[in-house]
Amino acid sequence: MKHEDVDEILNRALRGPHDVKSEVLHRIADSLKVSFAPVRPLPSSIVLTAVVFFVCVAVAIAGAARAGFFGFAKMHLMERWIIFGLLGALAWAAARSFVHAMIPGTRRHITAARLLGWSCVALVGLFGLLFRDYETHQFFRLGIACLATGLLYAVPAALFSWLLLRRGFAVNMVTAGLSAGLLGGLAGIGMLELHCPNFEAAHVLVWHIAVAPISSAVGAGMGWLLHLRRASRQ
Amino acid sequence: MLMVRYQQGDFTAATALIERTSPRLYRFFAAQQVSRAHADDLLQETWLRIHKVRHTYRPSEPALPWFYAIARHVRVDHHRKSIRVTEGERELQAMSKTISPGASNAGSSDDLEALLAPLSASEREVIEMLKVTGMSLEEVARATSSTVGSVKQKAHRAYKKLRVMLSREAAGRERSEKAT
Repeated sequence: MKHEDVDEILNRALRGPHDVKSEVLHRIADSLKVSFAPVRPLPSSIVLTAVVFFVCVAVAIAGAARAGFFGFAKMHLMERWIIFGLLGALAWAAARSFVHAMIPGTRRHITAARLLGWSCVALVGLFGLLFRDYETHQFFRLGIACLATGLLYAVPAALFSWLLLRRGFAVNMVTAGLSAGLLGGLAGIGMLELHCPNFEAAHVLVWHIAVAPISSAVGAGMGWLLHLRRASRQ
Repeated sequence: MLMVRYQQGDFTAATALIERTSPRLYRFFAAQQVSRAHADDLLQETWLRIHKVRHTYRPSEPALPWFYAIARHVRVDHHRKSIRVTEGERELQAMSKTISPGASNAGSSDDLEALLAPLSASEREVIEMLKVTGMSLEEVARATSSTVGSVKQKAHRAYKKLRVMLSREAAGRERSEKAT
């Protein structure tokens, strides 16, 4: 059996009466007439991505400005370029993913879950290469404080992004929530890299990077709750 | 162009769009083994949703995947809702479906249902979109919020399964013919 034979069988099975009654079409047109008005289309996805990206950068910088740029001051020039270059690229990809999740029928190059996975792998790889201090002091106490700080800034970054894209329509709320959470999480990590002067490898690898998956999971959970709310309203 | 005029508040453009797009959307719903009345409801629900979010369409993007992304969302919602329906209600619905004349999709969907039975839900969806709506791989990827690679892989797997199943069926028929 060839590919064309399967095609032919599928086409045959699909042939049949699938015409829509004209009264149904009239009923649909009449139902739309009630609330008919011109609408302003959403801006292009590149504009939306740029706006969302800069909001996240602003949240990270504002957070570090409030707490102090101790981490940034302690880094070498090359470390600054590499770390913030990678974080910027990942945040841009997450912003793009979030914008695409809020506009139906847009092209995807990578799914939100895969982007989260690749982001974590890239950050673990880079931080593992750059931070070579393998001693640990007050691993849990300092770590939990950093995680909480990162999440504290991930929340406003994700919320502001969500507010900016509130005119959009998420066909999958969980994916949209996950993308927003990842974007917020990367803003949180950015804030921690600017602020935290603790360069112990274990601390950075565990507690700083953990902000992204935790924030993404929270975002996905919120998306699920919003989906349930939307479903119960219908 | 019609979509842009629809966004600008041109009712004739909206009517033209409804007339052009509805048969394809209807086929998409009818392929899911739902009753004619149900497919009509889903179509109407889809248009209400399209109308509500018509500002999310951008003129630079293809319109068909945008329509199907929303139609798919309505279908998924409907599927989830139908899962919540109690067993008794389902039986009643099934009875009314068999009793009311012209309620079913006249055999073609039964054939399709049997044909696509061995496929997983996502493979089935990809095949339905490619065959029922005639969209390209790129358009299906956009409509299902996935990548072209993923759609290609699902279509390839689905065709492989269908080929195996249909070859087996053909071999079985030949054997029974020889025996008689």
